Amino acid sequence: MNYAIFLEQVINGLIVGSMYALIGSGIALIYGTMRVLNLAHGEFYMLGGYFVFFLIVTYGVPSYLAIPVAVVATFILGALIQRLTIHYLLLQEGWAFSTIAATLGLSIFLQNAALLLFGEQFQSVPYYLSGVVALGDIRLPVQRLLIFAVALLTIAAMTFILKRTRLGWAIRATSQDRDAAAVVGIPAQRIYLITFGIAAALGAIAAAMLAPIYAINPWSGMPILLKGFVVVILGGLGSFPGAIAGGLILGVVEAIGVQLTSSEWRDVIAFALMIAVIWWRPWGLFGRKPS
Amino acid sequence: MFQPLKPQHWVLIAAAIAVMAAIPLATRDSYLLHVLILSMIFGIFASAWNLVAGFAGLKTFGHHAFFGIGAYASALISINAGLSPWITVWIAALAATVAGLFIGLPILRIKSMPHVAIVTLGFAEMVRIVISNLQSITRGELGLWGIPAFNGFTLPGLGKVAFTPADKVPYYYLVLVLLIASTAVISLLMRSKTGLAMVAMRDAEDAAESLGVNLTRQKLLVFGVSAFLVGLAGAFYAHYIAILTPSAAVGADLMILIIAMALVGGLGTLSGPLIGALILTVAVELLRDLDNYRLLVYGALIVLVVMFLPRGLATLGPLVTRRIGARA
Repeated sequence: MNYAIFLEQVINGLIVGSMYALIGSGIALIYGTMRVLNLAHGEFYMLGGYFVFFLIVTYGVPSYLAIPVAVVATFILGALIQRLTIHYLLLQEGWAFSTIAATLGLSIFLQNAALLLFGEQFQSVPYYLSGVVALGDIRLPVQRLLIFAVALLTIAAMTFILKRTRLGWAIRATSQDRDAAAVVGIPAQRIYLITFGIAAALGAIAAAMLAPIYAINPWSGMPILLKGFVVVILGGLGSFPGAIAGGLILGVVEAIGVQLTSSEWRDVIAFALMIAVIWWRPWGLFGRKPS
Repeated sequence: MFQPLKPQHWVLIAAAIAVMAAIPLATRDSYLLHVLILSMIFGIFASAWNLVAGFAGLKTFGHHAFFGIGAYASALISINAGLSPWITVWIAALAATVAGLFIGLPILRIKSMPHVAIVTLGFAEMVRIVISNLQSITRGELGLWGIPAFNGFTLPGLGKVAFTPADKVPYYYLVLVLLIASTAVISLLMRSKTGLAMVAMRDAEDAAESLGVNLTRQKLLVFGVSAFLVGLAGAFYAHYIAILTPSAAVGADLMILIIAMALVGGLGTLSGPLIGALILTVAVELLRDLDNYRLLVYGALIVLVVMFLPRGLATLGPLVTRRIGARA
């Protein structure tokens, strides 16, 4: 393969990887804060995609307005689901498994509810921006650059929130030591609610950006969830920066792997990478080895 | 569950087996037998998953990989090598065991439940994609057909036994024997030293380890046995159904079904997965109209059971008798 194609693949890998990073960081945020592995995370992506689709295509809302509304709607949905299920499960004994099982059930429920409500047709949203940017031999659609820019902005905003705001301090304190955080007056339950909502919203942002490229359908959450899982395994489960790095690495490895084989093997490449990392460094590329 | 069985337990087990064995004598209705055969296949699967998830505490979400490997291995070997299904089902079960050990080795060193869940889920997805991509061998999504049935034989006193789609009775008895055998294997394993170590580990991993339990080897043994049984169930399924598609044999839907069965019946009990498999398979058949909503119902069921009945239906029995006993 020649150099320009290779470089183009790497750039495309980074762009797709930035979306994987958004999905993975949502999973990492929930796991990091409340030690819950959310198997329904893909469905926030799926529903976020449908919200965007209905607002833009069905109701003709301009995209710059539709996307924030869809993201906020998904935030509320995520918080609501947390309050109705996870909140009670965390009070039970053996919640580590019961939350995984319950979110799996939730995922199946939401998928099939979407199937009944929205039908099985694949939907798509028109491009937000048209045009192509040429950099030497490399040609990049503006739409893809927009995806990357939004991902960078979101990651920057999240980093700012986590590092510089009272909410972020509270989230990080709760994730480090829930009891100690409660002692200094941090309302852990409210933090959980907000964190779950933020994670769902991150999924909706990814969905909104990918809606013009990938079809929206009731099953679109599952593959993206599995990608998110690979990302958090690569980066170290529960680590926000790890998820960002893991997403970008996965995107690039997939892009090069697909170039060398064929696109049918994309997911096999991703899972093989994950299993290889588990054999070699079970705590993730960026996680710390548990003492 | 580790006390010696009391006489009334033996009576109960014998009665359950007798009832199951007598059903084909009472009715030859092939639809009813089909539903029962399916629920017994799922029963073996759910029990084997329960062995790992309920007893050993390894919450895997990828056991459908072993079902698919068993089904496809047995079907492909019997089609291409012309071997009898009586032989290929065992080869297939061993193939599933090897796959189980391959994926078991890395994950069993990790104590974190989410890692186990993610890696097994990813592994199963990998198996599904490989099966559907290798179209020259498996015909991909078009499905593998022309899978040979079990060879017939002659039973002294009963005459010829033939495995044909028209007559479900031979399949019924064969899967019943497999179900009893696999339940016996699981029960014996759990009563052995390995079983005690498993439960000790599930309940207090560090304490068990400090007492000198070799965790990795014990876990790997249980994982291997479980993969073997699931592979066997898959292989039987292939020769019974005679057509395989990647989404039917290795789809995530299948795993969700099995998880729902084990949870509804009761995780970590011997009878729970069997009860769950029977109830859910029969219930869905009774509510034929449910078919489009089947997964919706399974999803909701998993959430509700986890939230309100975390120990499943199997534990309701002793609870009720105790209540009544206390009142008397």
